[in-house]
Amino acid sequence: MDQPIIKITDLDFYFKDFKALDGVNLNVPKGSIYGFLGPNGAGKTTTIRILLDLFRPSSGQVEVFGKPISQDRDNILGKVGALIENPSIYKHLTGRQNLEVIRRMTSTSKSRIDEVLEIVRLKDNADKKAKNYSLGMCQRLGLASALLTDPELLILDEPTNGLDPSGIIEMRELIQELNKNHGKTIFLSSHMLSEIEKLVTDVAIIDQGKILYEGKLKGLQDGNNSNELTIELDNVEAASTVIKNLNFTVSSINNNSIILAIQSREEIAKINKALVGNGIEVYQLKAEDENLESIFLNITNRLDQ
Amino acid sequence: MNLALQLRRGLSAEIYKFKGTLAFWPLIIAPAFIPFINFMILWRKGDSLIQPGTNAWDALLNLSINPGNFLFPFFLIMLALLVNNIEYNANTWKQIYSQSLSRTAVYLSKVKAFLLMTFISLFLFASFTLLVGFLLRYISPDLGFEEGLNLGLFYAFYLKMFLTVLGMASIQFWISQQSKNLILPLGIGIAGVISVIILIQGWKYTKYHPYGYHIFGNSGFQEEGFEIWGSMDPVYYSVGLAIIVFILAGVQQVKRRIM
Repeated sequence: MDQPIIKITDLDFYFKDFKALDGVNLNVPKGSIYGFLGPNGAGKTTTIRILLDLFRPSSGQVEVFGKPISQDRDNILGKVGALIENPSIYKHLTGRQNLEVIRRMTSTSKSRIDEVLEIVRLKDNADKKAKNYSLGMCQRLGLASALLTDPELLILDEPTNGLDPSGIIEMRELIQELNKNHGKTIFLSSHMLSEIEKLVTDVAIIDQGKILYEGKLKGLQDGNNSNELTIELDNVEAASTVIKNLNFTVSSINNNSIILAIQSREEIAKINKALVGNGIEVYQLKAEDENLESIFLNITNRLDQ
Repeated sequence: MNLALQLRRGLSAEIYKFKGTLAFWPLIIAPAFIPFINFMILWRKGDSLIQPGTNAWDALLNLSINPGNFLFPFFLIMLALLVNNIEYNANTWKQIYSQSLSRTAVYLSKVKAFLLMTFISLFLFASFTLLVGFLLRYISPDLGFEEGLNLGLFYAFYLKMFLTVLGMASIQFWISQQSKNLILPLGIGIAGVISVIILIQGWKYTKYHPYGYHIFGNSGFQEEGFEIWGSMDPVYYSVGLAIIVFILAGVQQVKRRIM
């Protein structure tokens, strides 16, 4: 196997006394679209900031392109493009001028600005002031800045955050295109699991600073037999108590339905019997194929705890 | 890549990003403010302000230096806020510190841009003041602007002013670098300036006050036998303080966690 592009070993990080990262290990293969999944506050952005040398780790090794970031920072960052959280944009400048600021810092050729504007489909609006940009355009401009130096590795922190459905689809297409046609390795963090599911080849799941799973996306699905059960009923609150008493994890509660993860068909019958036995009207029991969302909830297990 | 090359890139980006901001015009207009008022005063009332037989250029310098002593620190407070706040507003600290330039280079580019803007605005202040004198030479020939101009001394005044405000400039720069907060740097700056104006009435240690070095630097210039580079203490205090503060602020920026 090729040497991983990112190799993180036993990484710890503290905010004062709070341990934000606890023994994190990651291996990002070259050419992959690597999904870095976790609920808000799990440590995703902290890990990304360490990868970009914005934070220095308390202990552990971080290697990018086979070299420790602490030793070869400037060279490594020259081959990495990043989009972190809310995009960094000077609102008083136009899109093109924003790119010019980065171009001057990195002494990239002038023609590259038009190339990246083309890639992120922002050419028509390049000479508008960024304060008039929509959120989607801001996000694409952020991606354009990340692409400016033609980096081998793209690090995108929640790139679909705050986008409308068409913006999300557009961003997803862009990421796929960058991976396939431009050969970029993409490290992508998200809490929107349904999004990442259609995009990524590899995945890591982080929760409360610990890595809970790392590997191929397929392996995650194979290793987990969990199905998602949706129950429509009349008394949601009473039902959720009954279900919790049976030691199941409720993943979401709506007005007239409850969603939870189950392991086998027998469990459906068991839950049904308990609900009916407690005088709850059950209208429908619907078991769905496993998806990443339910696997993820099962692993991180946090919503109702 | 060596630091000099990195610095050139950083500075070029740093200057470019102020394009079209509020920084650009004040940088030119603010230094013209005092000269413009002086022009109006001397044009209308010059004959009562400049006694026959005295040097008209000295009078003009006097009319410029005193309000300049008071107003220029405020200009610096704003400038220090602006060069740092532009990054807080745009969320760009994380962007400029994750490029292939060393943190030292990015920090020094910002300091350099700040000092350059300070220098340019003082240079413009001097030049606009000169322009006022030259204009009056034609409009009111009686005032005496035909003679008595010592151009070297004239610019030396402003160069000394530049050197003697570096101390307070570095403090304002450091405070403004700390956080997005606008009030704190403004408050400390204003307190600094006002306290000097009060203390200068009689406290013997006022000469060590960083917000007053420039006032001591050019005081007494109308007296007999004044030499511009005669009293160098304010220059040494100011430059010494600036070196220390800029180094400390740099070490902090190189080590800190960039949010």
